[in-house]
Amino acid sequence: MSMTTTHIATETTPRDDSVHNGLDAIFRPSSIAVLGVTNTPGTVPHDIFVNLLSSRFNGVVYPVAPRKKHIAGVRAYDYVIDIPDPVDLAILVFPGAVCERALTQCVEKGIKAGIIISAGFREVGEAGKVREERIKAIAREGGMRLIGPNCLGVINTESDVRLNASFARAMPAEGRISFLSQSGALCTAVLDYAAGKNIGFSKFVSLGNKADVGEVDLLYYLANDPKTSVILIYLEEITRGRALMKAAREIAGNQANPKPILAIKGGRTAAGAAAAQSHTGALAASAEVCDGVFEQSGIIRCASIEEMFNTAQLLADQPLPRDERIAIVTNAGGPGVMATDAAVGQGLKLASFEPATTAKLKKALPAAANMKNPIDVIGDAREDRYAAALEAVFEDKNVSQVLVILTPQSMTNINAIARTICDIKDRYANSGKTLLCSFMGSKDVAPGIEILQQHRIPHYILPEWASDAMWNAAWYRQWLDRERTEVQIYPVDHKRAAAVIDAAPDGYLSEAEALKVLDAYGFPVVEHALAQSADEAVAIADRIGYPVVLRVVSPKILHKVEVKGVILNLGSAGEVREAYCGMRDHLLKHITAEDLTGIMVRRMIPVGKEVILGVNRDPVFGHMLMFGLGGIYVEAFKDVTFRIVPIRESAASKMVRELRTSSVLQGLRGEEPSDLAAIEDALKRLSQLANDFPRIAELDINPLIVHPAGQGCHVADIRIRLQKNGVKAD
Amino acid sequence: MADKAVLERVAKVTGRVLGLDPSEIEPGSNFIFDLGAESSQSVELVLGFEAEFDIEMDQEQALAVQTVSEAAEFIAKHLS
Repeated sequence: MSMTTTHIATETTPRDDSVHNGLDAIFRPSSIAVLGVTNTPGTVPHDIFVNLLSSRFNGVVYPVAPRKKHIAGVRAYDYVIDIPDPVDLAILVFPGAVCERALTQCVEKGIKAGIIISAGFREVGEAGKVREERIKAIAREGGMRLIGPNCLGVINTESDVRLNASFARAMPAEGRISFLSQSGALCTAVLDYAAGKNIGFSKFVSLGNKADVGEVDLLYYLANDPKTSVILIYLEEITRGRALMKAAREIAGNQANPKPILAIKGGRTAAGAAAAQSHTGALAASAEVCDGVFEQSGIIRCASIEEMFNTAQLLADQPLPRDERIAIVTNAGGPGVMATDAAVGQGLKLASFEPATTAKLKKALPAAANMKNPIDVIGDAREDRYAAALEAVFEDKNVSQVLVILTPQSMTNINAIARTICDIKDRYANSGKTLLCSFMGSKDVAPGIEILQQHRIPHYILPEWASDAMWNAAWYRQWLDRERTEVQIYPVDHKRAAAVIDAAPDGYLSEAEALKVLDAYGFPVVEHALAQSADEAVAIADRIGYPVVLRVVSPKILHKVEVKGVILNLGSAGEVREAYCGMRDHLLKHITAEDLTGIMVRRMIPVGKEVILGVNRDPVFGHMLMFGLGGIYVEAFKDVTFRIVPIRESAASKMVRELRTSSVLQGLRGEEPSDLAAIEDALKRLSQLANDFPRIAELDINPLIVHPAGQGCHVADIRIRLQKNGVKAD
Repeated sequence: MADKAVLERVAKVTGRVLGLDPSEIEPGSNFIFDLGAESSQSVELVLGFEAEFDIEMDQEQALAVQTVSEAAEFIAKHLS
């Protein structure tokens, strides 16, 4: 066996608090003061102190409880400044209203870090916001790092620390998974869920209002934490979008020491759909934005807590798979089919076995067994058949991940099979292959599952859950191994575009101005000119060639088709003259002559597939690029994909190919494939344009007409909205 | 500024509810931060002041009061 095995980060890193940005005082304090403790069991200020004691914290704990002699048998102090010894960490459980005074004393005492459990801050309105700003300022000036306020607390299970600075009901088992959550209530549910599944944690952090320490600081801390192999995050509000992406790319994408990040994003981005007037803006508040952000950052996006922990177990306890090829070994046909359907549906592939594997299987299994993938060892299989099948697939170079399925039949010796699987795991520990099990059922299979879990073999009640985990791990491997491309910089006429954009007020550019901008950036804009009279329209049409299109240009008209402001396919001078006069007369019933800038005469674009390219400036992530199919129906189809600007060459290629309906562009039923390279080119130019001009708030090229491969594409309609304060997001 | 008599009666009620000697209670004492009032005792304090002064106070406003002297001023306003 000489296969390369990528185990998730486990090496020991020397601890240096300058690297840990002051956060070691939170996770590894030597002494803790709890401010605001009470003697009333069942309340947060009491239980949090008792949790610290009962978790056998490896340090000193001081209760600060005014006018009380002792708490839970420990001598209490009136004020934190009365404590005679140095204190590393302060935990504040006082009501929010007095936290300011308490924190001021912590600074006076020289305490390095604090966890503010108390509520009554930003989450309660304006007065709370002011209070939160004040504690932030006190901590900043005093050089203190702060978790919270309004949080459940922090847990570090490391045996030399054993810190349960939270009001969770129990200290979780030690493990290699760290969990960050913006929802405190979710934290307690997750702890209970994980306890029921024998899942341990390394660090557990309730972020609360993130007045100081946020997910970005914690990601960097956990990246340097030798006891954390996998990082899980539940986020509701992202405040530093670009910084989060950068941190995730560095941590998840560290080739030498990859540390996977799994995330659930609750809620939507701050960009409000209701306020957006463009198609891109309306769609930018959708879940696809997060998909795009996570895809670019290497974050594994999970739809549920179940999926998150299913995947985390695999990544924490098994080597990262080399690719998406799997083998299934089962004693039941139906579950084998279910597992295959789920796996293939996700994007995994059933491995094609080497001839030697098939020969070994034929020798070891009864004739009725299925020797192909999924291998069915038949219902009466005992441990010897499982062993033979597993040895064969572990020896096969075409297999990257192995899923073992068991259903409890009367002759199935569950525990012996579980032990056999553990033995195989140990024998092939250096094979680099990922091993997962699904013992289906509940009561009868429970002892077998326990054996597997003791040997850190991920187990899933349903094979579909195993498939989710295998796919997420394979996706992460694909992301790590992805082609590294650059951001392509085109030679463009930046000056000409800037002359239009810098001179324009906030609001929409006229179509002529917007086309000038696109033309300067090398977009395929067809020849056009503005006419002020029928004679002028005919002269322009004669010059650019027939057929032509007439399009109204007016600051008062945004949706041209609705006011009959577009007339297509005019093939002669006579048709142009008649159409011009008819359109003008009709328009003047809706707007004044002063508001009619003119009528644009444009060469008719040949028929093609309609796609949309867009840009929306998100307050958190900055400019986002959108691509979708459907032209004016894009909002109905909602088949769109997003990326943060600037995009690399590989991202442009992926955007064009990852839509649900992208096969439409690749040629269906004998149609010629569309010019995908031309779309990619337009996407990269648009990325460059948005990156160069922060004032672009929204931009729709809708539709971009795409012609067959090699024939390019054309901009059929364009809308650009400018808005000041286009500062690039952090 | 609340009058001295009101302040003394506030200190008396505070001492009774929190189990403290009234002489230990300063006008500037914060019920929670200095005198160690727990959330249930804060409610008891409000009820004690209402009974002592025969007044009815807005619970939310009363609980927002932080110090002994602030409580005396708050009560004095009700009395006037």
